Amino acid sequence: MVLLQLDPFLNELTSMFEHTTEKGSVWVTLKRSSLKSKVQMNKMPSGGETEYRCLIRATDGKKTISTSVGAKDHQRFQASYATILKAHMTALKKRERKDKKKAAENDKKEGVAKNPKRA
Amino acid sequence: MVYITSWDEFVERSVQLFRADPDSTRYVMKYRNCDGKLVLKVTDNRECLKFKTDQAQDAKKMEKLNNIFFTLMARGPDADVSEVTGKEPMDAQPTKKGRGRKQ
Repeated sequence: MVLLQLDPFLNELTSMFEHTTEKGSVWVTLKRSSLKSKVQMNKMPSGGETEYRCLIRATDGKKTISTSVGAKDHQRFQASYATILKAHMTALKKRERKDKKKAAENDKKEGVAKNPKRA
Repeated sequence: MVYITSWDEFVERSVQLFRADPDSTRYVMKYRNCDGKLVLKVTDNRECLKFKTDQAQDAKKMEKLNNIFFTLMARGPDADVSEVTGKEPMDAQPTKKGRGRKQ
């Protein structure tokens, strides 16, 4: 497993989404971690503050990448992450309205007509 | 494994699960483009909460949950998540102002 910097991680994640459009899945795991092994943890002086970060792992079943964010940079990361998700989760259904390709224009008119609920 | 059907229940219980045991709780998102399915899972290896959807509107809700977990995990389980869950009304208000023509 490779621990990447934030931007390379986001790039890799994007290509994972692109590779799995036809088949396959992408898993993204978030976990709180001190990024230290148990042995290292035991060696730390007790009572000392351990710094925790949010570990982010992503896999497409073949390859695994990871990165971590701390309290300072998580907001910037989560914004970019959200953008990537929005751009690639295109197969989800948009509000159970079917055959709308047929009448994209009508759909717009309907949307306007449906909104005002006053009598 | 039983899926939780109510989104609010899923969010509430997963945050509870994390706060109860922050060190061993993980949050997994699985997205399958060819089937258009999204599965969210939160587990501490004892209890497992899952939510499954194929709706785009649930992806928006998931974004909020992502923010909650990023905040909780990066800042610690006691972090205040109320600001991430809200829809940032601070930003939305000023844009409304000054747009309409006043006489």
